[in-house]
Amino acid sequence: MGFGLVGLEALAGKALAAEGVAANPLAPKQPHFAPRAQRVVHLFMNGGPSAVDSFDEKPALTKYHGRTLPTSQRTERKTGTAMKSPFRFRNYGNSGLSISDMFPHVAQHADDLCVIRSMYADVPNHEPSFMLMNCGDARQARPSLGSWVTYGLGTENQNLPGFIAMCPGGFPTMAGQNWRSAFLPGAYQGTHINTQHTQPEQLIEHLKNDFLRPGRQSEQLALLRELNARHLEQRTGDALLEARIQSFELAYRMQSEATDAFDLSREPADIRAMYGNSVYGQQLLMTRRLLERGVRFIQVWHRAGQPWDAHDAIEANHRGLAGECDQPIAALLADLKQRGMLDSTLVIWGGEFGRTPTVEIPTPGVSSQGLGRDHNHYGFSMWLAGGGVKGGYAHGATDELGWNAVENRVHVHDLHATILHLLGFDHEQLTYRFAGRDFRLTDVHGHVVHDVLA
Amino acid sequence: MASRIHRTLLLAVFLCGLQSLCGRVAQADEMQEVFFEKRVRPILVEHCQACHGSKKQEAALRLDSASALKKGGDSGAVVVPGDPENSPLIHAVRYAEATRMPPKGKLPDASIQILTTWVKQGAYWPADPVGNPIEQKPDWQEVTRKHWAFQPVPEVPVPEFKKPEWVKDSIDAFIRVRLNAAKIEPNPPADRRTLIRRATFDLHGLPPTPAEVAAFEADSSDDAFATVVNRLLDSPRYGERWARHWLDVARYSDTRGYVRLRDNPNYHFAWTYRDYVIRAFNEDLPYDQFILQQLAADQLPHDDDPRSLAAMGFLTLGQRFINSQHDIIDDRIDVVSRGLLGLSVACARCHDHKFDPIPTRDYYGLHGIFSSSLEPFDLPVIATQPELTRYLDYIRELQQRTAQYQQFLETHRQKFELSFRNRIAEYLLAGQKEEVQANFLAVMFLVDLTKDLNPVTTQRWARLLEQTRKHHHPVLAPWNGLAALATTAGDEFATQAQELIATWQRSPQADRPMNPLVLQKLKESSLKNLEDVARGYGELFQQADEKWQAALKADSSVKELEGKDWEELRQLLYGPQAPSVVALDEIDEFFFVDASMQNQFHEQQRKIEDWLASANAAPHAHVLVDSRKPRDSHIFLRGNASNPGPAAARQFLAALSRESQRPFETGSGRLELARAITDRNNPLTARVFVNRIWMHHFGAGLVRTPSDFGLRGEPPTHPELLDHLARQFMDEGWSLKKLHRHVMLSSTYQQSSAEKPAAVRIQDPENRLLSRMSRRRLDWESLRDSLLAVSGEIDLTMGGRSVTITTQPYSRRRSVYGFVDRQNLPGIFRTFDFATPETSNPQRHQTTVPQQALFLLNSPFLKQQTLHLAVLPELTSIEPLDQRIDAVHRRLFGRPAQPTEIELATRFLTAQPDTKPEVNPANPSQYLTPWEEYLQALLLSNEFAFVD
Repeated sequence: MGFGLVGLEALAGKALAAEGVAANPLAPKQPHFAPRAQRVVHLFMNGGPSAVDSFDEKPALTKYHGRTLPTSQRTERKTGTAMKSPFRFRNYGNSGLSISDMFPHVAQHADDLCVIRSMYADVPNHEPSFMLMNCGDARQARPSLGSWVTYGLGTENQNLPGFIAMCPGGFPTMAGQNWRSAFLPGAYQGTHINTQHTQPEQLIEHLKNDFLRPGRQSEQLALLRELNARHLEQRTGDALLEARIQSFELAYRMQSEATDAFDLSREPADIRAMYGNSVYGQQLLMTRRLLERGVRFIQVWHRAGQPWDAHDAIEANHRGLAGECDQPIAALLADLKQRGMLDSTLVIWGGEFGRTPTVEIPTPGVSSQGLGRDHNHYGFSMWLAGGGVKGGYAHGATDELGWNAVENRVHVHDLHATILHLLGFDHEQLTYRFAGRDFRLTDVHGHVVHDVLA
Repeated sequence: MASRIHRTLLLAVFLCGLQSLCGRVAQADEMQEVFFEKRVRPILVEHCQACHGSKKQEAALRLDSASALKKGGDSGAVVVPGDPENSPLIHAVRYAEATRMPPKGKLPDASIQILTTWVKQGAYWPADPVGNPIEQKPDWQEVTRKHWAFQPVPEVPVPEFKKPEWVKDSIDAFIRVRLNAAKIEPNPPADRRTLIRRATFDLHGLPPTPAEVAAFEADSSDDAFATVVNRLLDSPRYGERWARHWLDVARYSDTRGYVRLRDNPNYHFAWTYRDYVIRAFNEDLPYDQFILQQLAADQLPHDDDPRSLAAMGFLTLGQRFINSQHDIIDDRIDVVSRGLLGLSVACARCHDHKFDPIPTRDYYGLHGIFSSSLEPFDLPVIATQPELTRYLDYIRELQQRTAQYQQFLETHRQKFELSFRNRIAEYLLAGQKEEVQANFLAVMFLVDLTKDLNPVTTQRWARLLEQTRKHHHPVLAPWNGLAALATTAGDEFATQAQELIATWQRSPQADRPMNPLVLQKLKESSLKNLEDVARGYGELFQQADEKWQAALKADSSVKELEGKDWEELRQLLYGPQAPSVVALDEIDEFFFVDASMQNQFHEQQRKIEDWLASANAAPHAHVLVDSRKPRDSHIFLRGNASNPGPAAARQFLAALSRESQRPFETGSGRLELARAITDRNNPLTARVFVNRIWMHHFGAGLVRTPSDFGLRGEPPTHPELLDHLARQFMDEGWSLKKLHRHVMLSSTYQQSSAEKPAAVRIQDPENRLLSRMSRRRLDWESLRDSLLAVSGEIDLTMGGRSVTITTQPYSRRRSVYGFVDRQNLPGIFRTFDFATPETSNPQRHQTTVPQQALFLLNSPFLKQQTLHLAVLPELTSIEPLDQRIDAVHRRLFGRPAQPTEIELATRFLTAQPDTKPEVNPANPSQYLTPWEEYLQALLLSNEFAFVD
């Protein structure tokens, strides 16, 4: 048996091995207690969207606009006076959640959103913050949230990867480290899909065969089955041999299943229109098709690099990016809801941090249009929807200006603990023994935020 | 290793029927232990043990072990298990009565609740078989004294065994004794074809050729198999295979991992380490030498062959954590401790190791060794003398570019220093306001450009001020005193400041002397706020600097300023503690945070980088050298670099030193560390290595946690055998090839892999007793290399720069030469369970996922190998078909085809309507012919992928 699964077979003995379970790390598993969510979509706004311009209205910024604030925070670059939001806020839904006109479509789902306005992280810089948000540690090589989740739950559909990371046109900052499995087995690593493409065979490596005549692969597999059966005859009861035989059957089915899952042309026109024709819309439609088919964890990136990083001209930047994702996100929420899946699907929206309430002062020698905001990890907003969270609810608060999370502060570790809780895990007990230690996503931190649970 | 979730789940699912009671008890215990370790113990450690632990015992109470808890304190037991309402400890933490604990402030409600629950559930405290390791030294000695892996490797008598013909090597006696005790018969020997296939895959990671199989089958001599093993060991293919096992441990990669935008992620000469390892295995370099070179080749004689310098890639080729020094050091400590000693010392970075006798001072002892070892900017060329002439032009140009760069650095170093000294008043003030940061990463991300001060220098002032607040400093004590005034500005500040200065002048304290020049200067200044104080200091430092410059002018050999008080000031400008002194080896930090200089700096670096990466570059070694001023590191309390505790001497681990732990004396201590690791009396080194070798031969180690021989690791299945092998290994000159011979010539190794009867499978489901050979699946490298080998395509060129093996056109080189990108490991590597290069790897995972099958079914690589195999002249020339099918079986599986297999093949081939090649209209490539389809199926078969 391979490392990592030794104990599993040791305890279960042959009973387990004979079922071939031992060799399939992605077989569905039960969590510690009854889960509220069964699958996760993480809409990662890479670069850090501004909270005071989207989900955390700050009238005081208008009051202090253009004035030096009494308090300030150290950030990556130099910032100056307070800058009021160029976006207009309104109250939406029965809950009256305040949301800006950056997200008019998402706002229609206000009563499903659980906005956490008191998020905070550790440093105002992208790289460590990406790592913290995704892997729970800014520097050390730790498995990503998606890897922990697939390790804990396996996945429902063996014909598709259990953990998918979509990013159109390349990698986000920190690239594959965002969805790495680190010391967990490679099977738990996120499968990266370049959603710039639309053809399934471009999306998943080696999905299609282009050198066998149509129809021949099933003949070839039948032959392989016979060869393997003969081989197994003298070696009965070897779970690994059986598992490998099984994996070819799975692969064969994956070819058609994945092709089907990624083929958006099979969606009716009205649904496609609902998501829109943009790359982002296609990503989310693909996401829904995959969720429907039992994929456990999908992370959706906005674009390569860190597009939300609006150090200058934040209005144009944020309006443009929100313009790309607002309608698709609203469509995803609506679509999941109409299919009865929203209750069991946890949707997470947010960046690696937020942005300053003050205006960034352009660095000498670097061309800039001004009117941007610098990174702010002291206080920012994220929202959750579906999967057992309280809709139409805003949790916590930043100070008057949106600098610091001050009320019911939620660290990234707390968010992780809460996500795992929603999936049915005690975050302190979802562990993996490596290098003489039981590692966990939240290391020695994290408290479940019970207030956000429905 | 199983995880908790696996265990919990399995206990629930599988043990219910079988041993339900036992299972439940185990589970309950485990849950309690988890609860205690994760929730309760941290509270006790953090809030109670400082006063109720090994150092202090307020009220004679200790809260750091089961027995101490039971014993209680002056007023008796503090905990009544099961009854929190009558437990004084609970009353105390609730702040309900007169005794309120902890005195500094009430615990959060959650913590109180945890303690209450804990007491209510019986105040479980895990009984440790060898004392409580969390306690300090005395108990650790006890742990060390008793834990099997810390015992010297004893001489073990080989057990007597009645059937001597089975005992071909002493190994067999140890194995057979256990089998007999369990009443299990070993399997009969494997047949010769199986044996040679097993041996060839084991030693080469490649299948034997049909000729090799035939020769072995025809060899009727007694030592026929020994001949095979020797031939395999003598082949350079052996080093290529076994080097890869070591590269897993060494977390080898050709890249640094994530780097900042402008940095080059590649280690240009990582491959020199890989080639060194291959050569070391091929030449059977004694393992102790292998370790010495990997840790300290720079300090060993290497005559006119400097290639061994590349060995230090073991230390240097780790992940770079965006240049965070403490993390880089941590990675080096980890690879040395887990890789060579099977101990996870890195656990002791933040606190004493929970389970093993590794105190933080041991961690920081090693930390000092590595922080006193530097990577030189110009990496040494490691060409041998005759090769050197080829590189003369390259070296000349490199020297020129390096000299330019050094000149650039020196110019700016002087500029930096000048600016830092001239603006000392501003830095002093900035340092006062600055928070001390744990590491450079934080500093560089917290650039404050509101002033054009260099944040690294500001940070250094902050650090210095913090230190001097804790440890009196004659020059800075007045500053600290004035900075601490309750009033911060205005006339009141002025009054209070002058009063304070007057007090200092009036009644000096012998143990807290104040620099009189400073006091005088401040007394004469108008001090309305701290800015004024800073200005005063600035002027005084300026005077000191002028005096010093004048003194230098008069006599360039002058060592210090006349007058103790002036010299004290000068020390803060030029002395070892001076924040303004910029050393060349740390200058990049200053550049990085200086927006105006960054670009120039990177451009200078790139000129060299480009040259190193150029095709005609000479091989270099990624070495370490000792710093000129090696120094001990301070223990970082809770792992926080801004919270330094006492210094930790650079020395070997206490647990492995027994009575003889003493500080290293030469340079950084790296060579001494290497010698301590390779000392014959070190109980771990040989055991750990021998176990790794065993694991690669049998699929599992005698110790099944190969990088954890500590208290939480698994004990060996055959302790005496492990000791025997370790001892013999050292006695035979740390020779790996001799070890291979012992293993492979044993009856144990040569058993067949046939399944055992059901009873035995239940009795020993994991084959721990080794009554059969475990069947093994080819790993990524062996699978890929075998495909290339049977297709006739393999390119056996050795060494050199790494090649890309995952994209077209595919390299035909062996996989060990493939480029390993730590940052973006190709998906196919992960799919096939390649060792993650992020940290030292004890053992590869083994998973079966459909993506593996997709690669084999559909990848162009498979198609290409299939087509090459189909046109091999040695196959195409064979007629009729059944003989060709037979030849293919011999080539792929090392055995003839059975008649039924020929029949199966014929059926498949003749069932086809048309065997003419066709062109795929959507793709310029051709469809496979049925014969090619058949060949691919064979390449996909379990028989190809598994070794019996």
